[in-house]
Amino acid sequence: MRPRRILLVDDAETILLFERMVLGRGCYELLTAHDGVEALDLARREKPDLILLDVMMPRMDGLQTLQELRKPGPTASIPVIMVTTRGEEKSVSEAFTSGCTDYIVKPINGVELLAKVRNYVGR
Amino acid sequence: MQHEDNPITEYVRRVNEETRRFAYELLTENERLRTRLPVLQRERDDARAEVTRLRQEVERHRRERSDPQEALPGTGVESSAFESRYAELEQQNFSLMNLYVASYRLHGTLRQDEVIATIREIITNLIGSEELGIFMRSRNSSRLRLVASMGIDAAAYDSVPLGSGIIGSVARSGRPFVAEEGRGEAGDHERTLTACYPLKVGKTVTGAIAIFRLLEQKPALEPIDRELFTLLSTQAAMALYCTELHGRLEASAGMTA
Repeated sequence: MRPRRILLVDDAETILLFERMVLGRGCYELLTAHDGVEALDLARREKPDLILLDVMMPRMDGLQTLQELRKPGPTASIPVIMVTTRGEEKSVSEAFTSGCTDYIVKPINGVELLAKVRNYVGR
Repeated sequence: MQHEDNPITEYVRRVNEETRRFAYELLTENERLRTRLPVLQRERDDARAEVTRLRQEVERHRRERSDPQEALPGTGVESSAFESRYAELEQQNFSLMNLYVASYRLHGTLRQDEVIATIREIITNLIGSEELGIFMRSRNSSRLRLVASMGIDAAAYDSVPLGSGIIGSVARSGRPFVAEEGRGEAGDHERTLTACYPLKVGKTVTGAIAIFRLLEQKPALEPIDRELFTLLSTQAAMALYCTELHGRLEASAGMTA
């Protein structure tokens, strides 16, 4: 059985490094993308088990990426956790309306991140 | 007729002897049994006590099987203490990761624009603010120059004299400012200042980082944030200093080429 595959999407290398360090403790295969276009390409090709998706990104932002992921196809049912600085109720509501599965606000709490990831893909 | 020869007499005599002997044996056996009786009574009492003890043991085991918590009353409390300690250690571990990530990123490049972008990423993503200003001070200059900002009026902070307002005072004194520890003399635009840390190479202040409002979901600075600020104060300053030196080296190499 292959390890669970997680796609990390963020334009900030600092966040990608932090997420890799936190999740690197588990038995996961980690993929990274720096914007929505790269994320869509990887998601369709690699079919990850979970996607951590930033909102504010160049080329294609997180909400647009999410809408594309949710179109009928191989990525429609992949769980997506939005990871963002936007913690206001309006932003959270918009993300869930667009089809995200869960939501984490920055600055990221490592304990919360690990717990949510394990909830969707196990240890 | 003599008695000795009388068969009846002989018979009676023999019966008498046997009866006497039998009686003696009975008395002897009775005595033996009489002395044996207390021993047996003691053994009977010991056996009864053992049976009672074993019955209690069986009952206890039966209860333990049905309710381990009752059998090990201290386990729940001890387990809870271990859980708390584990959670504490895990949080410390993640805090250390934050510091490692920040340090790794700051020293991963010799380009000034990339170091400045990293400082912004650290403040936004690891501390939690989208209103910040990064200032640098040229050698022998009495002013701070705004080199990067986010979410603030850049024109208002373009050039800050040393000693002016909180930011200028931090740059002159080299001592950090954190809002909840008491406000300094705020300039017109510094009302929402949360923290200001000097950038220092050794004892020389080379600039400052100012953080204004925190993200909505972040009510206050946490201990790890102060550690990150302290790290930025030295490591970011050193990284920027190195980029400056590298820039000069490249420039002189270009001139001599």
